[in-house]
Amino acid sequence: MDASTLTERYVAAALRTVPEHQRADIGEELRGSIADQIDARVEGGEERDAAERAVLTDLGDPDKLAADYLDRPLWLVGPRYYLDWLRLLKVLLWIVPLCAAFGVTLGQVLTGATPGEGIGAVVSVVLAVIVHVCFWVTLVFFILERTGHQTTDPTPWTPDRLPEPRATGAKFVDLVCALIILAVVAGAIVWDQLLGLVRLGGEWMPALDPRLWPWWIAGLFVLMAAEAILAVVVYARRSWTLGTAIVKAVLNILIAVPALWLLWDQRLINPEVLSRLSDLAGETVFGPAGIVVVIIGLAIAVVAVWDTIDGFLKARRSR
Amino acid sequence: MTEDDLLETHLQELRRGTVVLACLRLLAQPGYGYGLLEDLERHGFSTDANTLYPLLRRLEKQGYLTSEWNTDEARPRKFYRTSAAGLRLAAALTHESRAIAAAIDALPEED
Repeated sequence: MDASTLTERYVAAALRTVPEHQRADIGEELRGSIADQIDARVEGGEERDAAERAVLTDLGDPDKLAADYLDRPLWLVGPRYYLDWLRLLKVLLWIVPLCAAFGVTLGQVLTGATPGEGIGAVVSVVLAVIVHVCFWVTLVFFILERTGHQTTDPTPWTPDRLPEPRATGAKFVDLVCALIILAVVAGAIVWDQLLGLVRLGGEWMPALDPRLWPWWIAGLFVLMAAEAILAVVVYARRSWTLGTAIVKAVLNILIAVPALWLLWDQRLINPEVLSRLSDLAGETVFGPAGIVVVIIGLAIAVVAVWDTIDGFLKARRSR
Repeated sequence: MTEDDLLETHLQELRRGTVVLACLRLLAQPGYGYGLLEDLERHGFSTDANTLYPLLRRLEKQGYLTSEWNTDEARPRKFYRTSAAGLRLAAALTHESRAIAAAIDALPEED
């Protein structure tokens, strides 16, 4: 047979992706069917070349035809897995890049990188992590789709799986929790200044720098009182609004930025505590720029950012 | 998408299952790809070649059709024939489509 005719080229293209053992059978049938269709058109008065061209045009893309023959999916992740794929991807994209960003930030600060280097490293790692998560999750589902598993979760859906209504954050229990936490923190700070919360070398000493007393601590108490008032206002209105979320953000900035600045300036943690701990475990762990200090700084930043985002999320949800 | 395209999509969806039924009924007498394509056309089940050929393979794989190569003539052809299971499926599909037609007739009349 002349391999250069359009029909032969079409059949060869279609068979390219067909498994070896089915090739002869499918190829022979396809070739015969095309010839039959061409003959019918020629009998109807068409030129043979034009008829061949028309028949092949009607059959369409040979790769698609081969996929139909073999029941092969023509999609990356089809309807059977799409929802599982989407849900898993969403969960992982919330968790993994955040963890990576936290880890890289910690590493950059500890190795003494400049802010520019640090931000560059975090951004590039987070982008790479996002690409990796998307790629590998999709690859796993691509393989699942083509190896004939049913679904990742074989139990049928029931109404019990409906998501719980989202917390408004403006219930009485939220108010009580907020006030209790503020009271406990205030009590702990006073206790720390008067009697000390850390016990080292047989004596109690304050964890916070005693030089913060009285003005810095007083300032903190004013801001905490404002937080308490904010919690009461939110409860009174029964919902978060854009306004209360902004106030919350401002309060977080007013607390976190001075705290970080004091930490950086070695005026937040009691230097007596740091030096004694450094004697015990080494400068790199507890010293002025040690791991523990860096972790405290990151924790302050993460809590402030998260609390701020949480306020805006609740405000958006209650619209 | 224009209204004509939408109409065509809906018609195709409605016809999809009926092609299987028509194939199973027509192939009670053995037939090959192109011959069946013409038979379908003649009986009012116009189908594209690139839909029919893969469909025949699928039905064969599911056990509703059997096949056999006929090499007596100049052009070798693969003949398909409806199996016993295929005949049962055809009966069930015929029954169901009649029920659907009756149900459609029983729907409130348009003005």
